[in-house]
Amino acid sequence: MILGVRLSVAIAAALGTLAVVIIAVLTWKGAPVTSQTFLVTTYIGLFLGALWAMYATGLVVVYTTTGVFNFAQGAIGVFAAFLYWELHVNRGWHSILALFVVVGLFAPALGVVLDIVIMRRLRTASLVVQLMVTVAIMVLLLSVVGDIWEADTPRRVPYLFGINNGIDLGPSQLPWHRLIVFVVAIAIAVSMRLLLRRTRIGTAMRAVVDNRELAALNGARPNVVSSTSWALGSMMGALGGILIAPELGLDPATLNNVVIIAFAAAAFGALRNLPMAVVGAMLIGLLRAHTGAWLDFGSDFRFAHLSIAPLLLLFVVIALPQARLEVGRLAHHLRRHERYTKWWEGLIGCGVVILLAAAFSGGWLDFGVWDPGSWGSRELNSANEAMALALIGLSLVPLIGWAGQINFAPLAFAGFGAFVYLKLAGDTGNGYWILVVGLLCAPLGALVALPAARLRGLYLALMTMAFAQAMSLIFFPHPWVMPIIGTGRQFPHIELFGVTFDDRRGFFLLMVSIFAIFVYALVLLRRSRYGRRWMAINDSQAAAATLGVPVVWTKVVVYAVSASMAGIAGVFWATVSGNVDSVQGFDLLIGFNVVLLVAAAGVSIPMAGIFLIFIPLFKGFGLRLEDAGNVDYLVTLLDIMTTYGPGLMVLGMVFNPRGAIFEMGRGFSPILPWRGDARAEIAAENAQKREPEIGELGLERPFTPEEVIAIDRRLEILDEVVPKEGYGTARS
Amino acid sequence: MALLEAEQVVMRFGGVVALDNASVDIDPGEVTGLIGPNGAGKTTLFNVVTGLLPPTSGTVRFDGNDITRASVARRSQMGIARTFQKLEAFNTLSALDNVRVAVEKNQRAKWKYRRVNDVAHEMLGKVGLDEVAEVTVGTLPTGSARLVELARALACRPRVLLLDEPSSGLNEDETSAIGQMLLELVADKDNDLAVLLVEHDMSFVMGVCARIHVLDFGKIIAVGTPIEVQADTAVRAAYLGSDEFRGAYVGVDE
Repeated sequence: MILGVRLSVAIAAALGTLAVVIIAVLTWKGAPVTSQTFLVTTYIGLFLGALWAMYATGLVVVYTTTGVFNFAQGAIGVFAAFLYWELHVNRGWHSILALFVVVGLFAPALGVVLDIVIMRRLRTASLVVQLMVTVAIMVLLLSVVGDIWEADTPRRVPYLFGINNGIDLGPSQLPWHRLIVFVVAIAIAVSMRLLLRRTRIGTAMRAVVDNRELAALNGARPNVVSSTSWALGSMMGALGGILIAPELGLDPATLNNVVIIAFAAAAFGALRNLPMAVVGAMLIGLLRAHTGAWLDFGSDFRFAHLSIAPLLLLFVVIALPQARLEVGRLAHHLRRHERYTKWWEGLIGCGVVILLAAAFSGGWLDFGVWDPGSWGSRELNSANEAMALALIGLSLVPLIGWAGQINFAPLAFAGFGAFVYLKLAGDTGNGYWILVVGLLCAPLGALVALPAARLRGLYLALMTMAFAQAMSLIFFPHPWVMPIIGTGRQFPHIELFGVTFDDRRGFFLLMVSIFAIFVYALVLLRRSRYGRRWMAINDSQAAAATLGVPVVWTKVVVYAVSASMAGIAGVFWATVSGNVDSVQGFDLLIGFNVVLLVAAAGVSIPMAGIFLIFIPLFKGFGLRLEDAGNVDYLVTLLDIMTTYGPGLMVLGMVFNPRGAIFEMGRGFSPILPWRGDARAEIAAENAQKREPEIGELGLERPFTPEEVIAIDRRLEILDEVVPKEGYGTARS
Repeated sequence: MALLEAEQVVMRFGGVVALDNASVDIDPGEVTGLIGPNGAGKTTLFNVVTGLLPPTSGTVRFDGNDITRASVARRSQMGIARTFQKLEAFNTLSALDNVRVAVEKNQRAKWKYRRVNDVAHEMLGKVGLDEVAEVTVGTLPTGSARLVELARALACRPRVLLLDEPSSGLNEDETSAIGQMLLELVADKDNDLAVLLVEHDMSFVMGVCARIHVLDFGKIIAVGTPIEVQADTAVRAAYLGSDEFRGAYVGVDE
């Protein structure tokens, strides 16, 4: 069947092999390859692969049966590993008992609760909401872990049966732990495959994801099925976390990042094919182990061997066939009228924001203890940092909010922008180069989107994540990219219009001004043909294509615009941080937080960006109060708000996908004197809520069209017929 | 030669054969009907013609060119427009913006730089929706949203218009208005327009179509004028017991 292989697969395989050969030749360490060392390396690779296969199996099972791709899979593993440590190490329970309690009781319970409270409701939600909510759960779980088990104590999860007991393999030993991991991972994958393919519940599980109603009519119980899937997925995540913790150490971020490897493995099986996902995991494991054994990347590329998973994902994405444009998935059901911000409203809003910021930085207004004018450098730094992040967050509005495409790599684009600026402006800090930064970041955005733009949105999301990961592992740590690390030199102060912004307050005002310009540009863009086209592909790609809109190209353009904005924002982010720590400063996890904040605020509305300014204010207040030292509960409250707030607010998207600002705007707009339309809409909505009295119901007079619509809505009949007159008379 | 031809199109989904050597041809200046029982493959044929589905085998030809491998957007630019059976309107955009997206894509080539707004309003006026131009489509009743899709398709200034059950969600007055509009559109020689209509409302189909193709289990079982098709024994067998077709007889006899 050589001829039957698709061209794209052949190209990707050829590129992948070529890359492996070239890299191997260039970085060959020259260590002697003996059959023994080869064997030992292979067994380490298979063991690593088995661990990732466990995570990947959980992902694939949940995805094939519920249609939700669970970004929190790794975080469940983190939580389970810490819980296991607490029970086994801290409380001294026997390992088997602790294992049973965590994997057999806690994990399935967590899965079922997640399903009942949240996941079930995501079935018909858009991809953006689905992904945001699972990312929110991930961030929340990690925050909880960070709060319960504070990072100051060193912790270790021991190997099952110790590291020194096991089978003798000549030069080294195969510990029982690793053997067990391998056997268990394969057993889980095989049994899941059998469960899905050969059992009644498995068939029901696969049927439910295709058509819940139809499956229910045939006797499947969709809720039982989805709870089962989540319980199983959660158990696999938990087991994976506990078994991998002895190898990687008990660090939340490290353990959580394992999930990216699992994503690549799952993508290798096109997200649904379990055996191929396991093969993918083993492939990554083998590549990782052999790379470590035979290749030497030198200190400049010291993290390069960790980027195998992101690179594999890239080749998988190139190999996948073009996705069909789906039709018939659209729910024609929108309760609310969309209103665009008018150009003058945007102008006034932005003007007010700049004035407020000027009042803040100039200390014109007196707020007493709350007066930001009394802030010291620590508070101002925190406010500036958050402001820069808000600027980065704004770049996601056209992308996620309008075009409905996900980007988890805003910080990677920002980092690239900072890099370009550093190279161009050098020590001078000449601010005009920022415009060039914007121009140079756009092609990078296009390049990242290009391979995955023809696929389903989920692959684009994974692709951006892989890109962010690869940038932090290969690009940013390279000394040529950001040579200032560790040398104590500051990122140059920006100089614009002859003013050097070396004062924190002035810099804050500069950022707010840039923010306002961005917001205003977005207000205009949304009303333009480009904004329209982007929202159109979000609503229906198939329809947009049949109107002549080139969907793939349009997506690539949005990514370019977004990357360009993020790159400009990155210059400010780097300047605030001053001494940029490349790996920490542009980390994926910060990116997740920015994405969540924007999503929680209401990602589709440019004015929602203004909401993001409140976060720096909260942070500043928190620090100020801490300094004052007499209002502990407020500090704690603000701390909780900034730690858990975004995640919790994103969970609110389950019920209200439009985000917080949208609701606040609806409450606020009727007060504005020129918003008669908002008042009329609310009046109409209240009128609709009026229930018809029983005596009237069609007995004494015909139904009015409004009542017919109200009844249709109540009965959830979507195809509403609007009769000309009373219902009884329309057809005669 | 016909303007649009689908020749010997086969579409397989795994073991299911949705289209089995189906051939359809349509000419400008008339409305061609495509009817058949539920699941006969009508929408699948639309998807093949517009490029949303790559056929397993067979050819689609437009104006003499083989377009079987052309992209969806390319076909639209050549002049193929469609509506959808299950709504695919841009729900978060206003009715006017829905049409604008289409006009903007075709402003240069097909509307000779006329102002986007003028053309969009004109198209909405044609389907009688000018009053709700600023209303978000997701809040409109299904019937009106269907008309927005029609206006949007017309804004592409098509040479072939594929309509997938335009009358569902509309009342009788609105349906007959649509029928009238279609007849006027194809009669206008300047438009040079061909319409392919999938419809379950048989009196509507029989009233406006010059020729009808009948699809059953993916096969074309009859082609002809409305009278010929109704007299066809294979068609009657396919529709036996179906209320739809009995309705058609009533429609014609009247």
